[in-house]
Amino acid sequence: MSAINAPTAVGGGVVSVEDNPPIRGGSAPQRGKVVLYALLVLVVVMYLYPLLFLVNTALKSDAEFISDPTGLVTAPQFSNFATAVDKGNFASYLLNSVLYTFVAASLGTVVSLLVGFPVARGYVKHTRLWNATFAAMLFLPNTLITVFQLALRLNLYDTRLGYILIMASGVGVGPLLVTGYLKSVPREIDEAAALDGVGYVRYVFGFLPTLIKPVLATVFILQAIGVWNDIILATILLPDASKSPVTLGLFAFKGTYVSQWSLLSAATMIVAAPLVATYVFLQRYLVASVVGGAVKG
Amino acid sequence: MSTSGTIIFGRRSTAQLLFALGMSLIVVFSLVPAVGILAVSFTDIRSLPFLPVSFVGLDNYRTFFSSAQLGYNLNALKNTLVFAIAVTLLQNVLALFIAVLLNMRLRGRNFARAVVFMPTILGVTIIGLVFGLIFNPSGGPAASVWGWFGSSSAFFGDPSLAMPLVIAVSVWSGLGVAVVIYLAGLQAIPPELHEVASIDGASSWQRLRYVTTPLLAPSITANTLLSLIGALQSYQLIYVLTGPINPATQVLSLAIFTQGFGGAQGGTAQSQGYAAAISMVQFVIVMIVSLATLVYLRRKETAL
Repeated sequence: MSAINAPTAVGGGVVSVEDNPPIRGGSAPQRGKVVLYALLVLVVVMYLYPLLFLVNTALKSDAEFISDPTGLVTAPQFSNFATAVDKGNFASYLLNSVLYTFVAASLGTVVSLLVGFPVARGYVKHTRLWNATFAAMLFLPNTLITVFQLALRLNLYDTRLGYILIMASGVGVGPLLVTGYLKSVPREIDEAAALDGVGYVRYVFGFLPTLIKPVLATVFILQAIGVWNDIILATILLPDASKSPVTLGLFAFKGTYVSQWSLLSAATMIVAAPLVATYVFLQRYLVASVVGGAVKG
Repeated sequence: MSTSGTIIFGRRSTAQLLFALGMSLIVVFSLVPAVGILAVSFTDIRSLPFLPVSFVGLDNYRTFFSSAQLGYNLNALKNTLVFAIAVTLLQNVLALFIAVLLNMRLRGRNFARAVVFMPTILGVTIIGLVFGLIFNPSGGPAASVWGWFGSSSAFFGDPSLAMPLVIAVSVWSGLGVAVVIYLAGLQAIPPELHEVASIDGASSWQRLRYVTTPLLAPSITANTLLSLIGALQSYQLIYVLTGPINPATQVLSLAIFTQGFGGAQGGTAQSQGYAAAISMVQFVIVMIVSLATLVYLRRKETAL
């Protein structure tokens, strides 16, 4: 089909992508578009339906949930939210999570920068060995046991500091991404700064971050995702419920109110709502950042 | 390494000091525990602090392969491989198609990209609760669908269905990151190539197969390895969805957790030496599987 119509299109001097549809001509592209949009809607529904169903359930009374668990809510009411707020302590769990995620990911990003930069530039010896170490850090064994024992022995068990240091040390691909990205940053910039009398510390903390912002954003977000989603290490290292991150707090809430789905849904919404709201503002930046550093690397 | 190692910022010691400062955090809290796992796997260390620890040689490994434990461990190993392979394949194939779709000039594609990535932000517990609700055996929407066919199921409580469901939820949660990585790869492909191919009469399927896929090979390798290594070691979502001791979804990581910490919060005097031995077995498996996959994918890349 496209073969038949192609010559006329070529005559018209096709360059840009917008000119693509006329190449095919006829009604086929129309049909094609419908299929594409149907697929797009299907993808969106696969992701939004579970969340909308959660909202629907959260607005139901227990009686309405039992009589009609899947139907659309008829008498929306907000008492579930009041009960969940009252019994759940979610504000402090969320604050804990924000604290752990922000501090651990920031610290991890600074560490990735501090170790990645001098190795990429050869400002420390044994760069080959360090590069191999960075690569090996992707394949570390599961360290639940030793991390727990280490925390016990360093008096960091059940402390926020211990949990944050352990989460921050899991830099994963961070140093590798930094060294990879630095290959595209000319060494001459270092030299020019040094000639102007900029010291190492000022260069690393004042100049370098703006030069390699995309990769630092990627490193930060990859690590933040890991900390934000952790539940197992928090279970092991933070037995005191007042220090629980939101993953653990919500999970404990689920254990207490088994099968009270309208209450559980309200609690889940209370936790999800600030995340979704933040995400709406940050999503362009977030999605771009996850790949921003990887592209050049 | 074109660098000659010359230092241009005055004294070398400042760079070394800051490097050592950064490395010390990684070494103390990440590398020492990693190497420590091997050492601890030869001891009878327990979760209660300050009990005497003694060297037991290969006892923990013997226990792992002993007839009393072998069935349990082989089941965990089988579950780990099934989970990892299924998640990796499904996630990559679906992510590739969705990325190609979301790379087209369609209205609402930015919204769709954002929506697909959202589970990453929500985190495992919210995802676990949402799907617990959807697959609630007594009156969730999935139960209604089963009901249309005159059937019913315990879903996550059904031993034959628990693993497929856990795999599906994992793919649902992990698609976003994979799609974003593929989108980055797709945007690096010059559109002229597609134009040339379609002028030459290539159908859209042929363009996907012979233009997009080969040029996307590095992204495919990266994504496959990332999800494979991740899935071989993952347990957070499984823990939330089906708990730590469900045999149908018991993976090696969860076995480490259960053996080392009793599945409940700390306290019990579990044999953590034995759990460390399971960590080492898992580590060897992750190495073999991911290196074999890397070699295979690199060969494929050059063949394409």
